[in-house]
Amino acid sequence: MRRKYLITIFIIIGLAILWVPLVAAEEPVKVAILTDMSGPYAGITASNVEAAKMAIEDFGGMLLGKKIEFFYRDHHCKPDIANQRAKELYEREKVDIIIDVPNSAAGLAVSEQARLHKRLMISVGSGTTEHSGAKCHRYCFDWAYNDYMLATSVGLWGADNLGKKWYTITADYAWGHDLFKHFTAALRKKGGILLGNDNVALGTADFTPYLLKAKRAKPEVLVLLNSGKDGNNSTKQAVEFGLKKEMKIIHALLFVPSIRAVGPEIFADDYVAGAWYWKVDTPGAREFADRWLKKFGHRPNWMNPANYSATLQYLKAVKRAGTKDPEAVIKQLEGHTFRDLFANPGYIRPEDHMQVGKAYIFRAKRPEEIKEKDDCFEIVGTIPPEQAYMDPKKTGCRMGGF
Amino acid sequence: MSQYLITQFLNGLVLGSLYVLLSIGLSAIFGMLGIINFAHGALYMLGAYAAYTVVGVLSGNFLIAILVVPLAIGLIGALLETTLLRRLYRVVPLYNLLLTFGLMLAIQDAVRIGYGPEGEPFNIPSALLGAVNLGFTYYPKYRLFIFAITVLASIGLILFLEKTKLGSIIRAGTEDSDMVDALGIDIGKIFTLVFGIGAALAGLAGVLAAPVQNVAPAMGMSFLVDTFVVVVIGGMGSIIGSIIAGLIIGETLTIGVLIWPPMATTLIYVFMAIILLIRPRGLFGREKFHE
Repeated sequence: MRRKYLITIFIIIGLAILWVPLVAAEEPVKVAILTDMSGPYAGITASNVEAAKMAIEDFGGMLLGKKIEFFYRDHHCKPDIANQRAKELYEREKVDIIIDVPNSAAGLAVSEQARLHKRLMISVGSGTTEHSGAKCHRYCFDWAYNDYMLATSVGLWGADNLGKKWYTITADYAWGHDLFKHFTAALRKKGGILLGNDNVALGTADFTPYLLKAKRAKPEVLVLLNSGKDGNNSTKQAVEFGLKKEMKIIHALLFVPSIRAVGPEIFADDYVAGAWYWKVDTPGAREFADRWLKKFGHRPNWMNPANYSATLQYLKAVKRAGTKDPEAVIKQLEGHTFRDLFANPGYIRPEDHMQVGKAYIFRAKRPEEIKEKDDCFEIVGTIPPEQAYMDPKKTGCRMGGF
Repeated sequence: MSQYLITQFLNGLVLGSLYVLLSIGLSAIFGMLGIINFAHGALYMLGAYAAYTVVGVLSGNFLIAILVVPLAIGLIGALLETTLLRRLYRVVPLYNLLLTFGLMLAIQDAVRIGYGPEGEPFNIPSALLGAVNLGFTYYPKYRLFIFAITVLASIGLILFLEKTKLGSIIRAGTEDSDMVDALGIDIGKIFTLVFGIGAALAGLAGVLAAPVQNVAPAMGMSFLVDTFVVVVIGGMGSIIGSIIAGLIIGETLTIGVLIWPPMATTLIYVFMAIILLIRPRGLFGREKFHE
């Protein structure tokens, strides 16, 4: 009798021990988008929330037998808020991964939180090369692009196709300086010369003195290493002073909403690099763009499918690993080659965690060429990933362990 | 080289014109009402958006926008004064600062919600496109137009203040509003008028800047900071001071780029510091004025 009693206790204890991992596995996979929904990039990045939702939906919404949970937070484009939100997401909401995080300082802050919490982060929006460089670590991946890719691909292409005499106008902060470094390196590689550069404070209203200086130098290409409001202002004034009759303009970053906000006649025949366009021939891209149009009334920018891809590839990695344990998932992602509507193919380099793919060179269409309101670009060049991205041996990344 | 220098000099005048229009209002409002209007940049931005609404949405004429928009922004200003600012004249100035700062954020976000964060297209009206031959150099017509309108508006304002009865009441009001009130003049209405005029000038600057700048919700913010510098250099409450300091700052920013680009934006603050050391009340500031 007593013996039987003991056996029951053992069985109960045994079940209890077994039950603990069972309960742990019951925790659903939790995905979070942390992005700028009300700051300066909101017009481009706020919709990334919808892109991630679509990826979860397309994946089937279920993973490891549980419904995938989705979170999103607004960081207002401020690094301190991003840091706080990331902490809350990892600690209170216990999310498994944070995706996007535009603004390089914000991105680096969240990457540090990911390292401390031993949870994943995929940077899509922030362009700093540090993610796959000096500040790389096992828990952080960098998706879709970085500043090196933006600068080098259009830099190489521009030196070959537009001219080898350049003048640059650079936004005077870390991002602008970083771009300047990579742009001029690409120019040197092609044997071009830089006629001059001016660093201009953020938020400058009047670019005309700088533009006139550039005009006097008589370059073949004017490179505007700024974005958003500054990019729009400087381009508008370059047109006003007739610079575009004498030279071509290359932008560091340019999206359809900017073109529509300032007017396609202002940006006509300017050049920029990007990782995707809704008319690109990647299978599934057009369907995605059509769905997006139906849902939101406009075509997606390339940050949208990049976030879709990052979310989808993470979910697939969890499925392959059979667990959401970060170490197992990271090992599934490292060295993985995939095809989706964003990258065809995309490859996640194990050396520096950079997701590399083709880079595209766009030409902004003239008003009369635009048949559909969001069809503002023509793809004029493709740069293979080996040229668009830095050699992983030279990034300065020492990956380390978990 | 000289041609290049002259073009740059003209650019400085044009940029200075926008500062003049903004700082006259800011300075006059401070002179009369004793409040520092942080919402001034937002009114400037509203002016640009109103111009976009007239020209871009309702496809009206740009000249109509120049006439109608300042009036509309002036009315909005008058409305803000009668409904909100009026209640805070007798309390610590800090409350005024908080109110106008809050107004600025509210107006900016309202525009962001209404029109979106990206901004709106606005191009130079076709009649003013192209450059004009000044004999020694070609210069964009539209920029000369900005300068001309500013000169007209400034002369009109000075004549109004110097030659009309209402103008003399306003001038008396900036000297001693309590005394004007005691003489049986409704100083409250004068306050509303001054705030309205200041707002209208900010609106006008917004219309004029719309074709050469990016029409976006935050466009007033960076401009406002420079305008404060102009008001401090010119002397709080002085219209002549605003005009002269506005042009000086415009030139400093433009010519500074030729001499030493990294210092150009810093130069105006250096300049302000020097003025404050030599003449703490600014170039045309009066003694015992709001002190």
